[in-house]
Amino acid sequence: MYKSLTIRQKQIVWAWGFLALPVLFYTVIRFYPTGNAILISFQNWNLLGTRTWAGFDNYIKLFNDPVFWKVFANTFKYLLIGTPLSLLISFIIAYHLDQLRFMHGFLRMLYFLPFMTSAVAMAWVWRWFYQPVPTGLFNNLLASVGIGQIAFLNSTTNALPAILAPAIWAGLGFQIIIFMAGLRSIPKSYYEAARIDGVGWWTILWEITLPLLKPTIVFIVVFSSIGFLRIFDHVFNMTTNNPGGPLNSTKPLVLMIYDTAFSSFDMGYAAAQTVVLFTVLLVVSLVQLRILRDK
Amino acid sequence: MATLALRNLVKRYDKTEVLHGIDLEVADGEFVVFVGPSGCGKSTTLRMIAGLEEVTQGTIEIGGRVVNNLEPKDRDIAMVFQNYAIYPHMTVRKNIGFGLRTAKMTKLEKSARLEEVAAILDMTDLLERKPSQLSGGQRQRVAIGRAMVRDPAVFLFDEPLSNLDAQLRTQMRLEIKKLHQRVGNTIVFVTHDQVEAMTMADRIVIMKDGHIQQVGTPAEVYHSPANAFVARFIGAPSMNMLPATAKDGAISIAGGAPLDLARAPDGVLNVGVRPDDLVLTGGVPILTGRVTVQEPLGNETLIYVDAGAQAGGEVIAKADGRTPPAVGSTVTLHADPGALHLFDATTGVTIR
Repeated sequence: MYKSLTIRQKQIVWAWGFLALPVLFYTVIRFYPTGNAILISFQNWNLLGTRTWAGFDNYIKLFNDPVFWKVFANTFKYLLIGTPLSLLISFIIAYHLDQLRFMHGFLRMLYFLPFMTSAVAMAWVWRWFYQPVPTGLFNNLLASVGIGQIAFLNSTTNALPAILAPAIWAGLGFQIIIFMAGLRSIPKSYYEAARIDGVGWWTILWEITLPLLKPTIVFIVVFSSIGFLRIFDHVFNMTTNNPGGPLNSTKPLVLMIYDTAFSSFDMGYAAAQTVVLFTVLLVVSLVQLRILRDK
Repeated sequence: MATLALRNLVKRYDKTEVLHGIDLEVADGEFVVFVGPSGCGKSTTLRMIAGLEEVTQGTIEIGGRVVNNLEPKDRDIAMVFQNYAIYPHMTVRKNIGFGLRTAKMTKLEKSARLEEVAAILDMTDLLERKPSQLSGGQRQRVAIGRAMVRDPAVFLFDEPLSNLDAQLRTQMRLEIKKLHQRVGNTIVFVTHDQVEAMTMADRIVIMKDGHIQQVGTPAEVYHSPANAFVARFIGAPSMNMLPATAKDGAISIAGGAPLDLARAPDGVLNVGVRPDDLVLTGGVPILTGRVTVQEPLGNETLIYVDAGAQAGGEVIAKADGRTPPAVGSTVTLHADPGALHLFDATTGVTIR
C-alpha cells in the first residue's frame, strides 16, 4: 500500500511519522495545561480541594487589586527600560567589536560569558555587590572616594534598576553575537561605495547599517522583550528574604503568579494572572512584529 | 574628464608584495581594461586608484594631481562594484541620489541631474522601484547611474559584469561601450574575461602576478603578443604551443620535418599557432594526428587532434562546419608560416 503512494505522499507520511512524537508531546505538555490554566482562571481551587466555578470573579479581583497594578507597572518598567537599554548597549559594543581585530575573540568571549552563567549564581553575586559597607563592592568603592552609601536593594526607587542591571548584563552576550552576525552580513562594498560617495559616518550608520540590520533588530527586540516580561529569577534571588520587595517595588508579574500559586495556593487567581501575562506577551510581540515589519 | 597616470606603483601587504611597480598612462577619455587571471593584482590596482587601498610606494595621478593621500571622495572618481553595492532598502532614486549626497548643488539641481542620468540610462520609469524589483541588468544600470551622477573624471569598474548571465553580459558590454562613446569619460575597467577586454577596450593592460605583461590595443595584443602568457591568455580557444628546434633558418616543429623559417634563431623554442590558423588545407603542413573530439560551432568546427607526446598532447584546430573530419580519422594540419608565433622556450618572450 505504501509503495503505491506518490513521492509527495510518501514525504508527507514520513514527515508526519517524525512529527507525531513532538505533536503528542506538545499537546500533553503545552496545549492541555494552557487550556487547563484558562479553565482554572474561571474557577477557585486551592490545589487539594475541589474546583468550584467562579466565573469572572478572579479577573474582577485582579482588576481591583492594587498590588496587581503595581506589579503590572513594574513588569512594564522592566520591559521599557530593559529592552531599549540592552539593545543600545549591545549594538554599541557589537558595532565597535566588529571593527576591532586585536583580542576580538577574547573580548567576545568575555561578553558572552554572563549569558552562560546561571542566573541564580549571578543574582547572588550581584546581591553581594549591592550590600552596604563593609561587604558590598559598590558601596566600598563609593566610600573609598568619599561618596555616601546608596541603598541599592533596600530602596523602593533604587531596587528595580539595581535588579535590572544584572538582567541586562546577562543578556548582552547573546545580543552582541546576534548583532555581530547581522553586521557581518552587510557586504563591505556597501561601505566602500559610501566612502567613495563621501558621506559621513553618521549617514552610513543611520541610512545604511541600521536599515540593513532591521531583521536583526526585530529578532532581538522580540526576544529581549519576552525575556524582560518574564523576568523572575534575578528578582527572586536578589530579594529572597522579601520576594519582590521592598514594598512590591521590584515584583514582576511572574513572581506574583508564583506567590499566589505556591504561597497562597490560590490557583484560580494565579491562573487568571497567567492568562493576563500570556495576553500581554502575545500583544506586545504582535505589536512589535507589526511595527518593525517591512512595509 | 582627466588623464590617469600610475608611476612605479607598488603594493605590499606586510611582507608580501602583490604589485611590483606598475607604470601606466591613461589618456583623457580612454577606455582601458585591466585583464588577467585571479590574483594578478588588477583589482588591487583599481582599488588603489579608487583610494580604497593604500599605496605602498609610487604615485597615482588623476588629472595631473597626485592623489595618493586623498580620500576616495576627493579623487574625482566613481566606482561600480562587482555586486553593484546598491542599497536594497532604498529606491532607485535614492540609490542614484546617494552619489550626490555631498555634492555642492541645490536640491533642484540635484534632482535635475538625477533625472538626466536616469534618462540616459533609460530608467526614468524605474526610479521609484526597490532593487529587489529589478532584473540583474537593471540593477547594474542603477550602479552605473550612481557613478554617473557624480560626473567623475575617471570611472572605475570592478568586474561589473561577472554576476550577469552570458546573454545579459553581452548586452551590458555593448551598453557600457555605447555609454562611453556618449559621455566620453576616462574609464578603467577590470575583468578576468578576455572577451570583455577585447570587445570593450581602447587599450588592454594584461597583468600576471603583479606585473604588467603587455599594454596595447586589442589588435596589438592579439596579433603581436609580447610573450607566451599574453598569447595564450588572449583569444579563445587558447593558442596552441608546440615545442620546436631551429637550426640554420629551418625549424622542426614537434619533431616533424624541417620547415624554412628564416626568423627562427638556432636552438630550442616554442611555436605558437592559434586554432584559427591551424587548418586542414592551405599553407604548409605542420603536424599530423588523430581527431579525438569535435566541437561544432555552426559555421566551423573545432577539432581536437592528438598530435603525440612530442607535440605536448592535444592541439586544437579549425575545420569546416559542414564537412569536419570524423573522430578517429588521421589529419594533417597546415598553417601559413606567417601565422606562427615564436617564443623563447625559457623566458616565454616573443621572438620577432
